[in-house]
Amino acid sequence: MNLDEVSARLTEVVGERHVLTRVSELLVYSSDGLPGYRKQPTLAVFPGTRDETIAVVRILAEAKLPFVPRGAGTGLSGGALADGVVLLGLHRLKNIISIDVENRRAKVEPGVVNLKLNRTVAPKGLMYAPDPSSEAACTIGGNIAENAGGPHCLKNGVTLNHILALTVILPSGEIVELGAEEGERDGYDLRGAFIGSEGCFGIALDITVRLIPRPQVIRTMLCDFTTVDAAARVTSAIVASGVIPAALEFLDGPMIRVVESSIYAAGYPKDAEAVLLVELDGLQEGVDADLETVRRLALDGGARNVKVARDEVERLRLWQGRKKAFGAMGRLSPHLVVQDAVIPRSRLAEILGRIEGIRQKYGVIVCNVFHAGDGNLHPNIPYNADDPEESERVHLAMKEIMQACVSVGGSITGEHGVGLDKMGYMDLIFDPVSLAAMCDLRDAFDPERRANPAKVIPTHRCREWMAAPSARASAKAVQA
Amino acid sequence: MPHATLPSDPLPAGEIPNCALPGTPLADSLPGINACVHCGFCLQACPTYLVHDDENDSPRGRIFLMRSLLEGTVTTDDPDVNEHIDRCLGCRACETACPSGVPYGQLLEATRATLAIGRGKPILARIILSVFKRPWLLRPAMLASRLLAATPIPTLLSKTPGRFGFAMAMLASTPRGIERGRYRASGDGALGSTAVLLGCVMEGLFTETNRATERVLIHNGYTLNEAPGQRCCGALHAHSGDLEGAKDLARKNISAFEKSRADFIAVNAAGCGAIMKEYGHLLRDDPEWNERAAALAAKVRDISELLSAAGPKLGGALPVRVTYDAPCHLHHAQRIMQAPLSMLAAIPGLELIPLHESERCCGAAGIYNLIEPETSDLVLDEKLVNVHETRASFVATGNPGCMMQIGAGLIRDDSPMRAVHPVDLLDASYAAS
Repeated sequence: MNLDEVSARLTEVVGERHVLTRVSELLVYSSDGLPGYRKQPTLAVFPGTRDETIAVVRILAEAKLPFVPRGAGTGLSGGALADGVVLLGLHRLKNIISIDVENRRAKVEPGVVNLKLNRTVAPKGLMYAPDPSSEAACTIGGNIAENAGGPHCLKNGVTLNHILALTVILPSGEIVELGAEEGERDGYDLRGAFIGSEGCFGIALDITVRLIPRPQVIRTMLCDFTTVDAAARVTSAIVASGVIPAALEFLDGPMIRVVESSIYAAGYPKDAEAVLLVELDGLQEGVDADLETVRRLALDGGARNVKVARDEVERLRLWQGRKKAFGAMGRLSPHLVVQDAVIPRSRLAEILGRIEGIRQKYGVIVCNVFHAGDGNLHPNIPYNADDPEESERVHLAMKEIMQACVSVGGSITGEHGVGLDKMGYMDLIFDPVSLAAMCDLRDAFDPERRANPAKVIPTHRCREWMAAPSARASAKAVQA
Repeated sequence: MPHATLPSDPLPAGEIPNCALPGTPLADSLPGINACVHCGFCLQACPTYLVHDDENDSPRGRIFLMRSLLEGTVTTDDPDVNEHIDRCLGCRACETACPSGVPYGQLLEATRATLAIGRGKPILARIILSVFKRPWLLRPAMLASRLLAATPIPTLLSKTPGRFGFAMAMLASTPRGIERGRYRASGDGALGSTAVLLGCVMEGLFTETNRATERVLIHNGYTLNEAPGQRCCGALHAHSGDLEGAKDLARKNISAFEKSRADFIAVNAAGCGAIMKEYGHLLRDDPEWNERAAALAAKVRDISELLSAAGPKLGGALPVRVTYDAPCHLHHAQRIMQAPLSMLAAIPGLELIPLHESERCCGAAGIYNLIEPETSDLVLDEKLVNVHETRASFVATGNPGCMMQIGAGLIRDDSPMRAVHPVDLLDASYAAS
């Protein structure tokens, strides 16, 4: 089957409007959340129902065509870029199939937007806990691909902890059930393998998520500091005290000033060099005690001021500033790179100091906004990709930051995934044997290696990888 | 939840190597394009993305197309590019979602002006824009429409298939205001002088709302100055890529309103108010006019802003169920969110029913509902589902396009609900006191 024949058959399934083949229509799909990359798909197809999705995957299997699944295209590792292959968009599958209040779970299609699910279940006193900063746009399917986190994963856990069961179509077209709605499944529980597989293992057709009761009390406090170092030390002190905040977020001075000039200005003091956003939730009595503990630790640790949100409006405003921080980076320049390293929380002050040194060495701007409680760093570096000299400096700085994080025992990604952007760092933390084992696992789900080819695992590290012709073609394009 | 502050800091500079369209309005807008980091937070705010499920019909997709035009990877005559840029409502809901402050409305105007070089607009658009530029054509056209609206003919034809039937339904909705008594408006004039923008459609088809506007202004402590020589605000022209036409109208209005010597220009049509507040931007490259334009723009107020500043005064009891639909060019473009609600709050007995997704576009978008009927209908259908759910008697919305669009939808759905301006309700309340 050539591409025209495939296109004709896909059109029969999903309709003409939902198959894109002209270059001018495909252009906008050449970037996801990281606009510094441009990779052009050959064709894009957007099924609108479960049955259409199954039919599309089976046509692609028959034609032996590689494909890249995509949700909302808000990912930050280049994971949804289709380089000369088919882009399979799942954003039209946006039905919330059922909400089971008694058993606290919901069944959704992969294209359901995270915040939409939360808004729908909120009136029932429930919530879906993982809340990536892109929650207003990103999809549950994409969250599963990346095993997404978010500020509130500090206490509640990441996506993996909130997915009960999935129906998955493998790249071959075979449909399998992973996990079980009612407790444990007999035999291997492969949810953990699938969640975080970055679109390389197949496509979730429906997803049963865990819902949890909304906490009785939520208190959000803003601690502001005149030095980054003091804020970092207070973070470590809070974690060491035994208090488990619902969220513990860090913004440094440059990031604060970007947010405060946006429509999401949250009231962070513009002259601060760091703020900590600490949220405590649970039962009234416990929260009050924890609040006092955190307040004392912050003030003893050099906080200039500790403010507690007076009402829900102020609380949401404090959060909007944090959640939209990444999107506000356009105030500085058209492109940015963002790192996603996880480091031991006890080394926070040291690493932030080293990042500052790297910033000065390369003459770049670094805006830090991150999940401090988890030790999950997000240094953002704004730059103009059309300036090759600046791009070079920025990428060298990023690499050095990553090396610094790894040198203290850190990992290269906390929640954004490896995708294309972090693939070059895999060698830093995995030996060839481990990488080969990952390839073997991938082969169990996708022996033809057609799903999201040339992502996550550096191809030259994968035994026999180059034997698969479709993957080879894509790998060449990526390396070029 | 975003705040009502407009972006003030400079947008990122940076050049596109070998720009394909140098010297065009689009090339001048590059800093605005640069501000987009492709985060995607705008997607769920965009009505056309939600109904078409294609990023080409989303803000970040369209911005990508704008950049591609400058990079030369697509050309201005590319049918796909034109289709997706044409299909934008210009509702600017993406602006109140954008953390980076992308001035999307200005980018869209610049793109349409650039695409308009070397291609014709649809014949219907050309006729409408041409009539609105010329008072000697506009006045008789509006008079004829008003006379026709007073007959049963538009209602009888309102369900005819196609755009003709919809246009008839729009017309049929215009005389369906609110019954109100008479009262003598009087006030102390302490809050300053105003000159009212009469507007083309407002004075043509919503004459009674304009008179109500004048009465409630007086009643709340403003005085009225005449502004003879005022013209169409130019919004329809700017949004359709006729920037020169818009500038010409802006200059005429600046002269007329300067002569009025009023402290404030009072505007009761959200779309008109939005463009008049941007006259400074529109004429930024005109050394003779830019300062005058900015000075005049600073005096422009939506009627709800003026009334909210005055209280407004409480009226008499009006026991009606009302829902509020936020016009895009009030909510997203002018960031006026609370003031219209304060008008409704001044009416004792009025029960305000919340409208789900009140700030989502209704699909009117100037003349969009006449030239892009398919998408407009899809967007309107979603609005009507939410409107019907309120079981209100009136939908209050402060823009003539929205009043006619929702009004037409209600007539075609055989609903007894009516679309009115918040000023009409306040005026009826004053008459009842």
